[in-house]
Amino acid sequence: MIPREDEPMTDAQRKGAVLPVAKDPGDAILEFLRLAVASELADAVILPMKVPSGDSYAWILMNDVSLMDDAVPIAAAMPVQGAKALRSLTRKSPGNLTVIAVMRPCEIRAAVELVKLGQVHADNLILATYDCPGAVQLQKYVDDPEGSEEHFSRMLQSGKPDNTAKPVCHYCEEFSMFDSDLHFGYLGLSEKEVLVIPGSDKGSELLAGLGLDPARDLSDWEKGIDSLKVERETARKSAFEETGEQLRGFSGMLSVFANCIGCHNCQSACPICYCRLCYFDSETAQQDPDALITAAAKRGGISLPEDRIMFHVGRMTHMSLSCVSCGQCTDACPVSIPVAGAFSYVADRTQRTFEYKAGRNDGDPLPLRQFRKSELPGIHELVKNAESEGPSHE
Amino acid sequence: MSSIIIDTSASRGVTELLRFLLESGKIDAAITMRNDPENNTYDLGLITDASNLDEAVPLIPVMTVNAGQALSSISISRKKIAVVLKPCELRAFVELVKREKGSLENLLTISYTCGGVFPLDTVITEQIEELLPKYKKIILNGEIPVNTRDTCRTCEHFIPMNADITVSVIGECKPGAGCVMYLNTEKAEDFAEDFAGERSDRKFDPSALKKTLDARLAEKEKLFASITKDGPGLDRLLDTFGKCVGCHGCSSVCPICYCLLCDFESANFDYNLPYFEEHLSRKGALRLPPDTIFFHLGRLTHMSFSCVGCGMCSDVCPVDIPVAAVFKKTGEKTAALFDYLPGRDVEESIPVMVYKEEEFPDIG
Amino acid sequence: MKKEFTPRITSFLCKWCSYTGADLAGTARLQYPTSIIPIQVMCSSRVDPVFLIKAFLSGSDGVLIGGCHPGDCHYETGNYHARRRFAIVMGVFDSLGLESQRLKLSWISASEGPKFARVANEYTEEIMALGENPTRKSIFL
Ligand code: SF4
Ligand code: SF4
Ligand code: SF4
Ligand code: SF4
Repeated sequence: MIPREDEPMTDAQRKGAVLPVAKDPGDAILEFLRLAVASELADAVILPMKVPSGDSYAWILMNDVSLMDDAVPIAAAMPVQGAKALRSLTRKSPGNLTVIAVMRPCEIRAAVELVKLGQVHADNLILATYDCPGAVQLQKYVDDPEGSEEHFSRMLQSGKPDNTAKPVCHYCEEFSMFDSDLHFGYLGLSEKEVLVIPGSDKGSELLAGLGLDPARDLSDWEKGIDSLKVERETARKSAFEETGEQLRGFSGMLSVFANCIGCHNCQSACPICYCRLCYFDSETAQQDPDALITAAAKRGGISLPEDRIMFHVGRMTHMSLSCVSCGQCTDACPVSIPVAGAFSYVADRTQRTFEYKAGRNDGDPLPLRQFRKSELPGIHELVKNAESEGPSHE
Repeated sequence: MSSIIIDTSASRGVTELLRFLLESGKIDAAITMRNDPENNTYDLGLITDASNLDEAVPLIPVMTVNAGQALSSISISRKKIAVVLKPCELRAFVELVKREKGSLENLLTISYTCGGVFPLDTVITEQIEELLPKYKKIILNGEIPVNTRDTCRTCEHFIPMNADITVSVIGECKPGAGCVMYLNTEKAEDFAEDFAGERSDRKFDPSALKKTLDARLAEKEKLFASITKDGPGLDRLLDTFGKCVGCHGCSSVCPICYCLLCDFESANFDYNLPYFEEHLSRKGALRLPPDTIFFHLGRLTHMSFSCVGCGMCSDVCPVDIPVAAVFKKTGEKTAALFDYLPGRDVEESIPVMVYKEEEFPDIG
Repeated sequence: MKKEFTPRITSFLCKWCSYTGADLAGTARLQYPTSIIPIQVMCSSRVDPVFLIKAFLSGSDGVLIGGCHPGDCHYETGNYHARRRFAIVMGVFDSLGLESQRLKLSWISASEGPKFARVANEYTEEIMALGENPTRKSIFL
């Protein structure tokens, strides 16, 4: 099901090739891609480019090397989740174009989930990630593109998200190499170099084809990443504690989603929610009007459109196992609800239940696609443990 | 047809009417805007118990969902429902009824002369209660509150069409002058029978709203000009819609876009690789996901003639594209081709369902 | 100076009239330009506005709908509906300042081979004067 057939590399096997840096890491990545296309090792690449109005980015599939000059591999904002771009290209078939996509780790992880869900055919895709310092919130970027670029360039240098970044970026643990074919590493290294690290046979072959020898030991880079991770992990703990507190009980859920207008933007911006017609938008989910009024009468009244909490809880059960915490839902919400905070918190728990990590490309099928006869021993036990770990639920 | 004058604010008057209707069993439910003081939020509520009317804020200048859209499936109920809605919401609902997506039969529609609503952004970040006194003053003066939706500032149809009951909020209604409700239909007379309040034969006089109308028309001209201010055409269109993230929030909150599965989300526009290859060979690059402009132009041809200019679409756009301004402007043009006005008359067929043998002599 | 180019005119032709008219033009050996790319549809009313827009945005330099004359529709009223929809698309284009000259509707009956050839020639001329559709090169659509 998953295109990767090789054994994932162990950390000890991992080494990188050094790319010289002229201006910034993005520049080094571009040079690498130009070479790959020019030497016909790839037919096309997918990169962000500024839209004509200059206040946002769009994903562009390109095979014209001269157009790459306008591309920005490490873009400050993330208007469309990259996995959606990959889905639009390969949903129907893998085709026979070799395409390199350079995206944020959470975008590639979402793409891996979509592969498992049969919505992306990655056979001919080379998925590349880079050390991600975070992404500027979409609304902030659109309001002030220039200021945001400045913020972002500082984030790029420090490797740390600042207050213009999406809230989830502050506690993202997978901001660096995960399970991609290629990874561009630069945090913790001298400003003069970027490491390109293969993570699969596909990646190794590409490097070999380009005559790049992954000989550099990764310890410096890893040290840099590890130190950044510590902060993120601490932030994660406290963010989850806070979110758990806020979401506590039905009234908690109600108050977090109190402003929700039921537009379902969060769902349509989500890379994992691939259904053309969401169950919660379908006829099946629509209540019979007479029954609705009868139900309302039991409580004296209800809110319209109905079932807004049902939508969010339902979506959590449908997709949280694959949630990659990319934060697109929050960015898309017109009433600034911290949707991603809630989903990420829930996803962390549902994924831990199955020792699953969304976006991992290790051949493991989705937890709901398999079962073992003896598992989840004493599911009650499990629930109890989860409760004692997290904030208690009355 | 008569009118009722009550010695209270318009908002309280409408709430009392709803209370009367619920308590007397004339209706099974009332639909009105509510305020949840605990979370300090507003929503559209379906209220069955009169005691819950304390939360009702029927005339609050907030639109969380176009009530026309929210009514669509509920209106098919056999239960009797009174609904308080803004003029554009009622027009949207009439458009839905024409499409067999709703029924007026068991509804009592109450609408009002509308001063315009605040964008959702303002609603969640600011205390509306604090903005209200100033807002009221401005609208009573026949002026336009600057911080309301752009489609409201330019809305000329702020006097309800087809409402069973019209409540006067701007125009003749002066502070302290009481609340006037015009009963426009037999249905309204029936429902309001026995409702306390002074009966009069005063007729609704739109001329009192001339100042508001003129101000809004002038504002509209400015807004429409701004859409093509840097020149018309493809480049301008790309400037406006180029940053669209394809969330389709604009169509999902649009009361007119009733399709469960929009054509532009259907498998019709999933492409095989040769499609992308053709684009690559022709221009060396293309956007992913594709069809950004296609979606908007397509939606414009599918529904713009029914656009009521409610402004929901702009309000939910995560990248602040002035969707509603473009749809309103284009919609006026496409509706005018057929002397059509969305929501004017439930008997008026939507332009694409009918035709005249002799029309458009220039085409063909 | 506009460079000479061969326009592409995506042409939706109704099976009963215009497509047959085009056929007749062919069998009568009337010259009409290769710019016309015919697509047969069962009726001009089969052409959803979305087809026109897709063709336009995909780089067609012109888009033509051919249908039976009013009153002659094989399905009686299809072309009246087609005319209304076409008017809407024109309205949208005009309102946004897009080049509505790139869209055309023409009534051509099954026996009007010469008319088909004339429309094809004239429309091609018109489009040549307009030049290439800017959508052909635009990557942000
Ligand atoms: S995007 Fe926000 S308002 Fe819309 S459904 Fe999601 S949480 Fe609710
Ligand atoms: S568009 Fe007009 S009717 Fe609708 S809310 Fe705004 S002012 Fe009121
Ligand atoms: S709401 Fe805005 S971003 Fe979303 S599809 Fe509409 S125009 Fe595009
Ligand atoms: S297009 Fe926008 S303004 Fe027009 S009816 Fe729909 S939501 Fe309202």
